[in-house]
Amino acid sequence: MIAISLSELTLISIISSGFLVTKIHMKRIFIFAFAAFIFSSCDNNDESTEMQPVEDAKTTITFDARVGNTDFALNKDFTIGTRTYNFSKLRYWVSNVTLVDSKGAEYLIPDSYYLMEEVGDLNLSGTISDKLTYPARKREAIDIEQIPAGEYKSIKFSVGVDSKHNDNLSLQAGELSIANGMSNIAWMWHTSYIFSSVAGTVKEGATSAEFLAETGLNANYKTVSIDFAAPVNFSTAKGIVLNLDVTKIIDGIDLIKTPKVNAAQSAVMSALAANYGSKAVAFGSVSN
Amino acid sequence: MPEPQIYQFAVPSNFPRPDFDTESPLTKEGIELGRMLFYDLRLSGNNKVSCASCHDQKLAFSDGKALNDAGVSGTILHRHTPALINLAWANNGLFWDGGATNLESQAFGPLTATDEMHQDLFELAGELSAVPEYVKRFDLVFKDQVSSQNIVKALAQFQRTLVSANSRYDKFKRNEAGGNLSSVELQGLQLVRQKCQSCHAGELFTDNGYHNNGIDADFSNDKYEGLFQGRFRISYNAADLGSFKTPTLRNVALTAPYMHDGRFAELEDVLDHYSGEIKISATLDSNIPANGFQFNSDEKKAILAFLKTLTDEEFITNSEFSKP
Repeated sequence: MIAISLSELTLISIISSGFLVTKIHMKRIFIFAFAAFIFSSCDNNDESTEMQPVEDAKTTITFDARVGNTDFALNKDFTIGTRTYNFSKLRYWVSNVTLVDSKGAEYLIPDSYYLMEEVGDLNLSGTISDKLTYPARKREAIDIEQIPAGEYKSIKFSVGVDSKHNDNLSLQAGELSIANGMSNIAWMWHTSYIFSSVAGTVKEGATSAEFLAETGLNANYKTVSIDFAAPVNFSTAKGIVLNLDVTKIIDGIDLIKTPKVNAAQSAVMSALAANYGSKAVAFGSVSN
Repeated sequence: MPEPQIYQFAVPSNFPRPDFDTESPLTKEGIELGRMLFYDLRLSGNNKVSCASCHDQKLAFSDGKALNDAGVSGTILHRHTPALINLAWANNGLFWDGGATNLESQAFGPLTATDEMHQDLFELAGELSAVPEYVKRFDLVFKDQVSSQNIVKALAQFQRTLVSANSRYDKFKRNEAGGNLSSVELQGLQLVRQKCQSCHAGELFTDNGYHNNGIDADFSNDKYEGLFQGRFRISYNAADLGSFKTPTLRNVALTAPYMHDGRFAELEDVLDHYSGEIKISATLDSNIPANGFQFNSDEKKAILAFLKTLTDEEFITNSEFSKP
């Protein structure tokens, strides 16, 4: 984890695979950058053991947000059932990503805490800083390196933050941060992370509502397992695409009736978390 | 590169073992860094308020006010400042309604709250990074830069060392010199054991739990995001309506006024409440009789006498807890 502090009015561009190039002018920014250390594989020169050099692979896992069969987008009307939705943000933590090989062995990607999102500029003033704008960002791809060679049959990951990190905001891992509006540190409340957040407007006939549907709390930490259509060798495949269908996220959730979903609506929040965990994500394709 | 030295936490023999589970081993240098930060006015947005501004060692790290306005905005707070005593054992949530799971997470609250220290966490890290002494200490303790995560870790280390276990009662309990209790004080001890220790339990004199102790009858007011509803606003469990954290009785003679909003100025007022001023509600703790404990005046005197034996002079004068 590298924290970079900038003096006032410094331009910075951050280029990292999977992130948009972003130029930021503002008064002091902490960017918690994920430093990937690449270790060269060991060569064993002892011929008597006949060990093959291990070639680590790298890949990109894409969480492609969709609305049914179309691509998800902000500030665009979508008809879902009898209602029209217009989304202003979609954000969720993906954590503890594990690749499972054909023999069932699991490779847990170290420090895997990723903030997946599509947002416009977010006004986070008054959270940990009086003036704070989180710049607009679309982030759907996670780059992973150092994957042990082999064929993989599935991927596991969780939506949200595991209890160890959720209960202790001082622990740094992956992209976990309190600087991005996906945590709750107000003193009166339950200091912890917001696992997912989707917001916008919903209309049905003459009725409309502004909704903000969020999940959090340890009980709502859901683990997902997705089988690949066929075993994937990351030495040859460029990546895999998982589809996150927003219509499934809100399935059975009446956002006109309960436009605010959070800890105070615990039953609805549980249902929403269950949707993320069981319905929303499906295998899409292998990128070659 | 020198290494920080592991700090051996001494568990008083009459205390249960604490459970440190927050990834932050106690080191001498970490504790010392935390102490520096605790007393440092630069931790606030206006550089005029430190943790110690409201957590005063002489008052067992409380502030003697019902609802303080010493924060940066000058606004009167809604809750009484809790005393900082034996926090190494406080593993069941911090704040009066238990919203923070551990000391590390808790510190972000007062640091950033407008009515408390109103600090910008980016500016704080920048401000302290300009102080070579801090840069050196953070590097030694955490092998890392100054960051808000490391600041709260250091503060937590220091706070865990605030152990109060040398009151006259403790010396009595452990058969040490100076541990004599008079017969009135012993009578008070018996009464506290029988009547108070279902919540103010054990040698910690708190179960670190949440109870509705009958100081209000109605919790329907959900203003300020459920501020008046106790632990309910954290758990959303109806059984938690009106439940607040059991404070310790240790040093209670020093930590007036009493209750989560400081409504009782004196211990006598507290005893009058428990004697027969209980307000009934559906979630009133089952250990409190509806018509109170009915203490007579001799019993009240005895309880007060005993409670005073829980004052720990060493705790409030220990230079290791004082301003460096």
